[in-house]
Amino acid sequence: MAKISGRVKAYLGRIGPTLVLLAAAVFFIAPILSTARAAFHKVPTILLNRHTWFQKWSLEGLRRAFKEEYFWTTLSLSLKLAVITVLITMLLLVPTALFVHLKLPRARALVEFLTVLPYVVPPIALVAGVAAFFRPNARWFLNSDFALAPFYVVMAMPFTYRAIDAGIKAIDVRTLVDASRSLGGSWFTTLRKALLPNMASSLLSSAFLTATIVLGEFTIANSLAKNTFATFSFEYFSRDAQGGVGLALLTLVATTALLGMMTLLTRTKSRKAATMTRF
Amino acid sequence: MSALTFAGVRKTFGTNVALHGFDLNLQQGELVTLLGPSGCGKTTALRVAAGFERADSGAILIEGSDISKMPPHKRNMGMVFQSYSLFPNLTVAGNVEYGLRTRRIAKPERDRRVAEVLELVQLTALGARYAHQLSGGQQQRVALARALAVRPSVLLLDEPLSALDAKVRTTLRDEIRRIQTEVGITTLFVTHDQEEALAISDRICVMSQGQIEQIGSPTEVYRKPATAFVARFVGTMNELPGVVSGASEVTVMDNRLSTPAAKGLAKGSSVKLLVRPEDLTIDANGMPGSVTSVTFQGASTLVGVRLDVIDRLVSIDVGQGVADSLTIGDRIGVGVNGSHAVCEPEE
Repeated sequence: MAKISGRVKAYLGRIGPTLVLLAAAVFFIAPILSTARAAFHKVPTILLNRHTWFQKWSLEGLRRAFKEEYFWTTLSLSLKLAVITVLITMLLLVPTALFVHLKLPRARALVEFLTVLPYVVPPIALVAGVAAFFRPNARWFLNSDFALAPFYVVMAMPFTYRAIDAGIKAIDVRTLVDASRSLGGSWFTTLRKALLPNMASSLLSSAFLTATIVLGEFTIANSLAKNTFATFSFEYFSRDAQGGVGLALLTLVATTALLGMMTLLTRTKSRKAATMTRF
Repeated sequence: MSALTFAGVRKTFGTNVALHGFDLNLQQGELVTLLGPSGCGKTTALRVAAGFERADSGAILIEGSDISKMPPHKRNMGMVFQSYSLFPNLTVAGNVEYGLRTRRIAKPERDRRVAEVLELVQLTALGARYAHQLSGGQQQRVALARALAVRPSVLLLDEPLSALDAKVRTTLRDEIRRIQTEVGITTLFVTHDQEEALAISDRICVMSQGQIEQIGSPTEVYRKPATAFVARFVGTMNELPGVVSGASEVTVMDNRLSTPAAKGLAKGSSVKLLVRPEDLTIDANGMPGSVTSVTFQGASTLVGVRLDVIDRLVSIDVGQGVADSLTIGDRIGVGVNGSHAVCEPEE
């Protein structure tokens, strides 16, 4: 009896991880496949059978969405916002993270805590608070489409700061700074030639994460009545459900591609660094 | 005129005094080592010289000019760090060229200098490699070349050998000395390794708790330690309890030893006599004891002896011929040559 239970345990031990993987795959892939069917398949669920499964697939919904007047303008605005948000994030967070590492190491815990605050403040609360302050004092700011960028910087901060911080921890930043300074490099030269090139993978991660958040953000844009790609997708869905679902899927594919690129690029860098240990 | 001067430099971190009125002069072309245990202030002194730390008071002078308030990138000093500090995104040649680029030196001159220093450190063939393609020893040689390429007024070496294995460390140590002598550059070298300091330096500055204990040539520091701290820190010391029995005489276990170190101490006062292993001999008429260990160390052998009356272990440095005839448990006598001993009054 004990022998049999031992065999069952061993068998379960072997197939257990595969089962977990399969369950996770079904959990993640099934909704995506359903979305794809809703976007590109013109057969109602009630008529689905082995004959109709491969019939009437079409990109017509997406084509209709592409022809919409606001599709390109909102996509363009979201891409511009992504670029601006990435730039503001880099300009603010890279010097901050470096300063904390080099000059205020004791403040690291405090800064890390501050950067995770956007996790606990709901976007709607954030936008309500900021709007209440700016509406009477600087309405022009809220009127601009680019007013969204500072909100996105704050929203992305928990991810971006961590990515930059990890990049700084991966290099011996103090020694590199000291080496550059002793060789005649000013702070600007040191940052440009000695630090940023060696933090490239973490900066890329940070940029891609920011872009992903900006492209998909809805709550703040909608609250401030801005026409971004996310708000357009939502509005378009109410008019053309199939096209709207197609757009949602397209956004998912685009952001996944961005994350995939990030993984690929950072892995190449990590491999390069790992070879250092061979000597 | 001194190439580099520390004039009464004081540096504190909170309540901790890292440098306490530190004075040191380096002559042109001289290699001076700051030697001391961790936390004695040697690296702080180096970082103050480099400009990475600002002294609370005192001054740093280069050939008489006060550079205390000058930022690091304007001080024209070359520095090699303990950890490999090469820029990972640049090749060996790119690293060496870095300081020349920041100084806006023309390309033909940069190329000439890079070739010159890479030849000096014997790495001409590796110019196109990246840091991760080099061994630790090669990386430190590149760091040295990079520091020398800018033709600094002073070279600062912050424990550059401590991350290397023993064999590479010895080779690179000799290489640093060869290059330093060849270039004739004034060098401040920081280490906690006394063997390294004794081998490489023109002068050694032994430090403890932010202060200088002794400055002297390697021979002086080893053979004539100024304080008990220096005696203990540099090389191995045996401690023998004794009583001052004359103007230059200490009695240890009924043996009267002549030692200049007892001069000025009150007759009858208790002292610790600090004696190096090479100043102890096997002597049938000496203090009796039993052999507890025989440790072969290549050129010499250390014999451990437990002295009978004071129940204390001492080490004797003996030649191989003598050591061969000894086994653990043998009864021997231990003689003392007190001429280089240090007397430390008992508290």
